This record gives sequence, C-alpha cells and structure tokens, in this order.
Amino acid sequence: MGGPWIKLGWRNLGRNKRRTIITATGLGFGYFAVVFMLGWAEGLKAEMVENGTGLLTGQIQIHSEEYRPERSLYDTIGGAEGADVGALLAAVAADPAVAAAAPRVYAGGLISSGASTSAGMLLGIDPELEPRVSRILTGLTAGRLPNSGVNELLLGSEMARQLEVAPGGEVVVVAPAADGSMGNDLFIVSGIFRTGLSEVDASHALLPLDSLQRLVALEPSRVHEIAIATADPWLAPEAATRIERALSPLRPALEIEPWTRLQPEMLDYITLLDSWYWIILVIVFTIALFGVANTMLMATFERRREFAVMLALGTTPVQVVSTVVWEALALGVLSLLAGALLTFPLMLWWSQAPPDMSFLYGDFTMFGALMRPVLRVEIEPAQSLWSAGALLLTALVAAIYPAAHAARTPPADTLSGL
Amino acid sequence: MLSIVALSFFLSARESPREIIDRVDRLLRGESSHGVAVMEVVTENWERSLTMEMWSLGVEHSLVRILAPPKEAGTATLKASDDIWNYLPKVDRTIKIPASMMMGSWMGSHFTNDDLVKDSRLVEDYDIEIGFEGSRDGVEVWELVLTPRPEAAVVWGRIEYQVRKGDLMPVWARYYDEDGKPARGLTFGDFKTMGGRLVPTLMDMRPADKPGERTTVRYQKLEFGVPIDESYFSLQNLKSRK
Repeated sequence: MGGPWIKLGWRNLGRNKRRTIITATGLGFGYFAVVFMLGWAEGLKAEMVENGTGLLTGQIQIHSEEYRPERSLYDTIGGAEGADVGALLAAVAADPAVAAAAPRVYAGGLISSGASTSAGMLLGIDPELEPRVSRILTGLTAGRLPNSGVNELLLGSEMARQLEVAPGGEVVVVAPAADGSMGNDLFIVSGIFRTGLSEVDASHALLPLDSLQRLVALEPSRVHEIAIATADPWLAPEAATRIERALSPLRPALEIEPWTRLQPEMLDYITLLDSWYWIILVIVFTIALFGVANTMLMATFERRREFAVMLALGTTPVQVVSTVVWEALALGVLSLLAGALLTFPLMLWWSQAPPDMSFLYGDFTMFGALMRPVLRVEIEPAQSLWSAGALLLTALVAAIYPAAHAARTPPADTLSGL
Repeated sequence: MLSIVALSFFLSARESPREIIDRVDRLLRGESSHGVAVMEVVTENWERSLTMEMWSLGVEHSLVRILAPPKEAGTATLKASDDIWNYLPKVDRTIKIPASMMMGSWMGSHFTNDDLVKDSRLVEDYDIEIGFEGSRDGVEVWELVLTPRPEAAVVWGRIEYQVRKGDLMPVWARYYDEDGKPARGLTFGDFKTMGGRLVPTLMDMRPADKPGERTTVRYQKLEFGVPIDESYFSLQNLKSRK
C-alpha cells in the first residue's frame, strides 16, 4: 500500500502546480480561520473571567455561611465574636494556588455633601492587601489612596459627580451601626475611582477597613468577606475545595466559593462558547471538504486514461484508491504547513499585542465584566492539534469518492475513447 | 327642612370611610402637638431605647429630637411636606434623606422614613372601603380596607385598619406587600387622656418576616394646640439645641 503509491500520490501534486497551490491555500486558510476563531473565543473567555473576577470579586470569596444572600451587617466571619483575621489570611495564603487574600467589610449607608445625598455601598478594604487581590484601587482618576486609621475614602466617579465633590472635599457618611445606633462621621475624599461599570461607579465608596469598622461599630476582628486571588482563575474551584477542607473545623461554618459559583452566569456563557468550538470546526471544514473533493474529482477525471492503463497492467483497484488517498493526504500536510505558517506568527503577534478594535466598538460589559475593545487571542495547543487533525481528516474524507471513482475506471472502454 | 335633618342623621349614622380615617388622623395629631415619647427597639442583634421629643403642625410638618441616650442626644429629624432631613450633632451637619432611602429604617427602628412622610397622606393615596362593621370581642368596630389608587406612589399593596366606633380609637393596622403577603402589624394600646384628649399612648410595630423583633413607642407626655407655626419647622431650628 505504501512504497510507489505514496511516491505516485506525492508526485501527482506537481501535475498541476497552480491547482495544488490554490487548494492548499484554501485548506490552509480554513485552518487559520478555525484556529483564529477558537483563539478569539478563548481570548474573550479569558478577558471576561479575568476582568469579571479581577476587578472586584476576586477568584474565591469566604463568607460566614449566613452572609449571603441577605448580606446582613451582623453576619461576619466567625459570627458575633469575629475571627482571628490574620490567622485566617495566613491559612488561606498557605494554599499553593492562592496568590493573595484580603479582608473586606460591607455596609449600606448614606453619603452626603452639601445639599446632595446618595445612598451607597460602603466597602471597607485594606489599602495594603487589596491591590494584590483586585484592581478596584488601580482605577484612580484623581487624588490618592485613603490612609488606614483616618477618615478618608474613595468615591466612585459617578457618585462623586452627583455629590459634586472633588478630592480634598468633605462628606458626611451615615450608616446603621451594629449596636443599633446611627453611625455617622465626616470623611475627607482622598480620591475618585472609575471602574467603567456604571453600577459600581455610581454606588460604591471605598474606605479603609478600620475606619468603616469604627463607623458601624464592628470590632476589628469582624469582617464580612475574605477575597482571594488565585494564580489562574481556573485553579479557583480546586483551591476553594482545599481551603474549605483546611478551614472546616472553624465554627460557625464558612462558605468558600470560587467565582464559578459566585458568578454562575459567566460559567454558563463559557460553556456555551466551548460548544461553539465544534460548530465552528464542523462548518469550516465541511465547506473545505466539498472544495477539496471537487478538486480531487477533477484531477482523477483528467487521469482516467492513466488509471485505465494502470488497471489494464494489473494494478489492483485498492492500489489505485491508495495512490489517490496518499495524494490527498500529501495535500493535507502541505496545506497544514501553509496554514501553520500563516496562523502561528499572526496569533503569536496578536496574543502579545492585541489589535485595537475601538474603531469598531467601545468598552462593553458582559456579566459584570468590563471588556476592552481589543482583539485578544489565546493560543491553546490542544485546539491547534485538534484543528490539524480535523484538516487531515477533511482531506482524507474528500478523497474517498474521487478515489473510488478512479478505481472503478473501466480500462477497455476508457482506452477505446468511449 | 325635614329632608335636611333626615340627611344629616343619615350621614352621622353611616360615616364615609374616608371621614373615619380623616377624623382618626386629626384626633391623634390635632392642629399642633408637642410630646415626649420613649421608643424601644428590639431586634435579633440588639435592644435599645431612645427618648425623644416631638412637635407637629398639621400633617405636613413635624420635628423629632432625640434626648437620650447621650451618644445620640441632639440627633433630630425634620419633616416638611415630602422631605426629610436628619441633623447629626456629632458632625454638626444636616443631610437630606434621598427618595431611594424612604423605605429605610428610621433611627434603626421598624418604622421607615416613609412612615413619617406618607402616613399623613392615607386619604389622598388610598381608596378606602369598610370591610367589616360590627362587634369584635364585644366592641363595636369598623374595619377599613385601604387599597392604593392606581396613580399613587405607595409601597403597600393593602392596609387594613381597625377603628373603635365608640371613641374613634385605632386598634390596629396591618400592612400587606404588593403580593398580598402580611408585611407588618401596628397595634395601638393604653388609651389614656393626655393633653385633654383620649389617645392611644402606645404603638407597637412588628415586622412579619422577623418574629421577635418589635418597636414600641410610649408617649409620656402629649399636648395639643401648642403655639408654634411653620417657621418652627426650619433647617435652622433642626440644628439648634434648646
């Protein structure tokens, strides 16, 4: 089956070089299209997950079991007694997948400046630890970060606009406190932040953790959340399970949730994107299949006298089939080389420097994740291999009918010119 | 002449539900009033008691100032028409409560800011019908059903109100949400003569979704017809400690 039939198949590619080049280019471009679209979908996924979890949520969150969904001020980690936050952070950081962890306190309150008052979410953060977990503090558009221990805060850009207050300005913050009183105090706006998520920019104020605890009468040991960043978002579910095991002796019980459970709609969308892979693969290569089959059929039709001679000289139909199939396979390999030559430099380039697409579309948000208007691609070696396999398979399948047709060439009729 | 007498007799025997609510409301407020009350708030997480002094003029104006505990003494709430301001003595600032916080708790109690503003507007915002008229536990009562008018911006799906026929004293009010589920119940009690009128001196609010929690207001002193006018209910006066 091998031997001369491979050589014969390979040499036939040179019979009509232009046709071979066109077909190989077509197949190669199909390969590029598939790898590029899959890479783009991967890039979209990565962008969504990184921004969706990295902006504020973190990849894993720890709460008291009671905390969600009511998010009551009283349901702190460790209950009313609170917990040794430092020890908890250390225990969490011991996990190999965990990059950083930071405590947070939440309270609902009013922020007032002059005649304007806004209802807002007061988020108490540790100015040292928070930047390692989320990017919320990197979006500073004016001013500076608040200092721990003093009454300073950051306002979302939209809230600052509504309150008509600038860095250095003074606001009154009022929040129901854990002892039943109305916590109230003056705060200096140290800076303005902008995330691009309008609901966050219009409703969030960031305070040093200790200042917020003092305002709402919570002991320093009482926090609502520990937000965790993992080295890779996809490591979060496993890490959450390990942390859950490590912290399971603690009472009252904790709820440790990776982003896949905190933002299930994001995971659903990713599952949907994954199913696109097969659809894209099938569509592109089905189109290619008919193109290649057509070319091969033409090529074998041209050679029907040659096949007739071969068959007349004692070549078996199986050997005729094999030479056509080898030819198709050689074409497939050639196309793959051409495709890879086109695909990988481009993909490598785009993955390093994503092209700016802002001329087509601006920032947009998906499931609470801010998406940059760039064409971000991610190279997945497994997908490239799968696509290569699909390309060779396409070439083979496309050869079956022309090969069978060639093998059934009636020698006498063909040679007599019928 | 005879027909007029007959008509007036007919009216007093069958009072319109609107008139009942209106009269109950006026009985409790008078044209102007001044009083001192203790508010006890019990929640799952804490219990506290606030002593407060209050002034009201008609249904549009009221001022409440907290006298004790010391941590919150001086904190005051001013209601003028539809707006509420809080004065915070610790920071010496006055803040206006935004519309979005109207359903928020007033001073940590089970009363909302909305209760301070909208209670005076029952007659305007609701269609009122008599749901029951007769004897309950040996007392002749009306039970009024208040359904919001289509155009009214209110939060309750329905309010039921029981009023004693004999002396027009309210007995209880039950608030239902938009799905018709009970949201909270307000009970009146300790009917006593204060400031020359029979008034309920106790109000007890219990949320339906948090069993065991309550806010109880007890009047210690109440007088009517005090000499104050609209200028008393100013932001200036909200700040000043007398």
